[in-house]
Amino acid sequence: MNLNRTFSRLAIVFVALSFLGITLGCTKKNSAKENVLNNAITANLKGMDPIYANDAYSNQVISNIYEPLFEYHYLKRPLELQPLVASAMPTASKDGLTHTIKIKKGIKFQDDEAFPEGKGRDLTAKDFIYSWKRLADPANQSDGFWIFDGKIKGLNEWREKMGKGEASYEDEIEGLQAPDDETLVIKLTKPYFQLYYVLAMNYSAPVPKEAVDKYGKEFINHPVGTGPFKLDSWTRNSKVVLVKNPTWHGGKYPSEGEEGDDARGLLKDAGKDLPFVDKVVYSEIIEDQPRWLNFMKGKLDIVIIPKDNFDTSVSGDKLSKDLTDKGLKLEINEEPDVTYMAFNMLDPILGKNLELRRAISLATDTNTLLERFYNGRGVNALSPIPPGIDGYDKDFKNPYKEFNIEKAKEHLKKAGYPDGKGLPEFEYSTTNSTTARQMAEYTQQNLAALGIKIRIAATSWPQFTDKLREKKAQMWGIAWSADYPDAENFLQLLYGKNVSPGPNSANYVNKKFDELYEKALKLPPSPERTVIYKQMKEIFVQDLPWIPNIHRKAYVLYHGWIENYKRHAIINGEAKYIRVNLNQKAKLAEKL
Amino acid sequence: MTSAQNTQGRSLWADAIRKIKKNRIAVVSFWIIIAYIGLAALCAMDLVFTSYSLVDNTIPYQAPSSAHWFGTDLFGRDVLARAAHGTVTSLIVGFVGAGLSVLIGTLLGALAGYFGGLVDELITWFYSTLDNIPYILLLVAFSFVSGPGLKTLCLAIGLTSWVGHCRLVRSEFIKQRGQEYVQGAFSMGASHARRIFVHILPNTLHLILISFSLGFVSAIKSEVILSYLGLGVEPGTPSWGMMISDAKLELSRGVWWGLAAATVFMFFLVLAFTLFNDAVRDATDPKLRDK
Amino acid sequence: MLKYTIRRILYVIPILFGVTLVCFLLFNVAGGDPAAQAAGKYATVEQIESIRAELGLNQPIYLQYLDYLKQILTFDFGRSWSTKQKISEMFWSGVGPSLSVTVPGFLITLMITIPLSLVLGYLRDSFIDRTAMVVCLALISISSLVYILAGQYFLAYLWGMFPISGWDSSWTGRWEYTTLPILIMVVLSLGGQILFFRTIFIEELSKDYVRTARAKGLSNKKVLTKHILRNALIPIITLVVLQVPFLILGSLLLESFFGIPGLGGLLVTAINNADFPVIKAMIVILTILYTTFNLISDLLYAVVDPKVRLQ
Repeated sequence: MNLNRTFSRLAIVFVALSFLGITLGCTKKNSAKENVLNNAITANLKGMDPIYANDAYSNQVISNIYEPLFEYHYLKRPLELQPLVASAMPTASKDGLTHTIKIKKGIKFQDDEAFPEGKGRDLTAKDFIYSWKRLADPANQSDGFWIFDGKIKGLNEWREKMGKGEASYEDEIEGLQAPDDETLVIKLTKPYFQLYYVLAMNYSAPVPKEAVDKYGKEFINHPVGTGPFKLDSWTRNSKVVLVKNPTWHGGKYPSEGEEGDDARGLLKDAGKDLPFVDKVVYSEIIEDQPRWLNFMKGKLDIVIIPKDNFDTSVSGDKLSKDLTDKGLKLEINEEPDVTYMAFNMLDPILGKNLELRRAISLATDTNTLLERFYNGRGVNALSPIPPGIDGYDKDFKNPYKEFNIEKAKEHLKKAGYPDGKGLPEFEYSTTNSTTARQMAEYTQQNLAALGIKIRIAATSWPQFTDKLREKKAQMWGIAWSADYPDAENFLQLLYGKNVSPGPNSANYVNKKFDELYEKALKLPPSPERTVIYKQMKEIFVQDLPWIPNIHRKAYVLYHGWIENYKRHAIINGEAKYIRVNLNQKAKLAEKL
Repeated sequence: MTSAQNTQGRSLWADAIRKIKKNRIAVVSFWIIIAYIGLAALCAMDLVFTSYSLVDNTIPYQAPSSAHWFGTDLFGRDVLARAAHGTVTSLIVGFVGAGLSVLIGTLLGALAGYFGGLVDELITWFYSTLDNIPYILLLVAFSFVSGPGLKTLCLAIGLTSWVGHCRLVRSEFIKQRGQEYVQGAFSMGASHARRIFVHILPNTLHLILISFSLGFVSAIKSEVILSYLGLGVEPGTPSWGMMISDAKLELSRGVWWGLAAATVFMFFLVLAFTLFNDAVRDATDPKLRDK
Repeated sequence: MLKYTIRRILYVIPILFGVTLVCFLLFNVAGGDPAAQAAGKYATVEQIESIRAELGLNQPIYLQYLDYLKQILTFDFGRSWSTKQKISEMFWSGVGPSLSVTVPGFLITLMITIPLSLVLGYLRDSFIDRTAMVVCLALISISSLVYILAGQYFLAYLWGMFPISGWDSSWTGRWEYTTLPILIMVVLSLGGQILFFRTIFIEELSKDYVRTARAKGLSNKKVLTKHILRNALIPIITLVVLQVPFLILGSLLLESFFGIPGLGGLLVTAINNADFPVIKAMIVILTILYTTFNLISDLLYAVVDPKVRLQ
């Protein structure tokens, strides 16, 4: 039979294929000499237009290409703003309504075909006005307009007129003026102390009109910024490669930091010119296993330890010996975020029965949740305000955040539903990722112990947010990460005027809380404001529109050849500070 | 005439059953299927494996032991019990999903094959249209539009997978329509409905049975795929699809038993159905009858 | 033959009409208000209205359907809601990577399964055949996750034979990354294909001409390789042709684990993001492809088997 022949041919194909794999694997070895930072993002990059930078992944990439007016000091904690494209921090009028910002001279947009002769031109104050109008333009449907919504004189009116086709980009806006190329004057409708923070967000980064006009809707794939890196190539759903921008205005590595930074070697490069690497690669790797294995092989430089690889790599906040031997380093950071379960306060039962919410809160076993889903990576959250942000107080008391099933049952009785009798089945909404679903099951079990039945509705993220916006959800699990280091960013989620379709999806309204919120808005960071935040937290605990669960911690692993790495969730443009020690890399890579 | 054809039908079945009984593999397969149905019934009545939803947070992800043969899951629940209860979900999806699709397929196929003409043209157009949409995409689209849950799952599978049955029944009806016994029934004044359901249908039953059991297996597999895409049954309900999709994260921490339990349970059910199906096909195939 | 071809091509028209109608009804009518979903967070009533106008949702339903047909004909499906990218470009950039894995994978599988199942069909009901069947069923039953995770961990990570994941868009560079996914795809599709071909060969083996050929004294080898293989070619070709659209779709799990930027991953991401325009476009494109290849396979069939033409 000629089957034998077929089989032997097949065997040859197999051997040839495996051989191909081996030889090709070898040819790539010399890449160790390249001065490149290899990063991973855990979702597919959507695009690189700042007004659509509504997720952590696009922000990570965009921050290297675009630059807003301000940035955070890389090393200091708590976070501190410093000028980036601005030449100094702004000056404000006495009433806090007029802010004058000077822009650094000689900042150039990256070279691009959109400019005459392909040479990037100087950045001017007008570019900011154009970019912010673009953010406000309803035709662009940006998620980021909230940073200026109702805050800048005349901008909302312009937005409305644009929607009706009665305005144009040529129109002047009272609150946004550029008396000369280097001066930007912002007039506010009311005091807004978060203004400088939002001016450090990518939503507010300047884009050149020429490029937007040239590329139109494709501008999302042709980023033209002022940043330290520019786009070299993007293979959709695979990786983004950024290279050093030769016309960057420059920057220096910070020469002071937090206590202990010096001892950690974070100040070795003090005063040196940034950036240190020639190239930054962001690989889009969604699944945990390939991301982790690529990191262990040294193909990625920095990785957040996936939840299911945690037990084998870390115990008691120490790396396992195996990993230490490979030269790996661990960085633990308390993230400015909160995970919570929210109730729809408009719900006729859940929203109106405080004792019922107290019972549910008391029946929630946060410690097991922390262990099971976060490997203990986090702290029990007692209020919406996370660590590292003004208003957080680790001695704060929330009497309903102890796991006490007996007490819970008493409250349930007071609520009028002894042992859950008479309660209908509630719907708990969540997203359909495996972990979200399992957490919902966990809640289901916690409540079952009280006799409360819930049905889990797991849908895609957009369908989930739709439900919240339309006030159709009863209770749900969700998380919030800080946009900027201010408690206001968390408390606005409970402000009465922000109810759905605004960010207050719980539709919580409390007059006293709202008054305090408005009062705090008018105050700069001060002990007085901290006291108000505390009062707001107490009202929150009295009403329990949410059950706060956890403030997470990030456990980041990086290789021994990476220098100057320091984590903060809000700082995105860290690539320019990082140095890749190539000698060290050559040595350590052999052990992997 | 009627009685003659009935004896013919009976003898076909008697003959087939006699043959299947002689086939050891077929008999074993048959009993395995019965055992699964029994298990599902007992589980549904909560008589066996009652610990399936018993949470014990002190023993998450325990490896298999004498207390828990297939270990425990994330919440310390017994994996074996959960896999056993998964049988209920799978059998519901299989029977209701495949049943619905056989029902639709048979009805439309019978109408098309029996009446021919315009009815046939319309039905053929309709099923060719559906047949030209890749099944899995149609399934995903359907369950996506109508939201997840066991009901949708059955409905989606039922409404999207009937084309094969329909085509089969139609061609069988066309063949049978011209046969003597149908013509005879016609001359005796039997109504259309009577001819379709009493005369022709019983003669195609064995084909429908085979088609059903193929559909059953594919329905069970569809559940796994849809679970993976987050379009499966309601969370908390034990299901093999969910257990397999959870394995994506569990395997990297070395937890293989959830996947193993679901796979083993599914494997034997699919194996039994496939082998039994094969035997029924052989036993009722006129070409092989004299073999 | 020409007459048949024309008839068969004309027959595609009502099918295409039906197919587009089903997709249209499924998403535009049953799927809820696309404008509200496109508008996203913090949308005002006016914004939703303006999107409705932009998407042409204020028109009567038959005009919307005509618009939809125009989209398909011009291959202009608009932009994704979640990424704001052009859907036609997302599609084109995904086709190549998907095919780079599936085509070699499919061909290698065929080279293995056809001879193997021919032998199994010949040895029908023997111990070897039974064992092979159980093994095949086991291969199918084990979740593809197992092969992928194990292949990636052992072959790529521990033994370093392949890169763990990644992609190179150049034609020479990509094979480094696709070899392992191709191997895994072969293993994944072995079981199902062997079972399928085995049935075909068994049917062929029980036909009269085989008996005649044997009676004529032809050796087993000759009967197997010459007659049966040639006759079984028809269903095999049908299968191969009908698989092509699925090869274009790629394998969702393989793509997401090995970082191959193909269409399977694109579809999964679109499902996770409830990205209706992308899902809609993908389904309609693949469906039209499927219809086309159905037509091709029917025509091929007619070339091989003249009886078909008379039907």
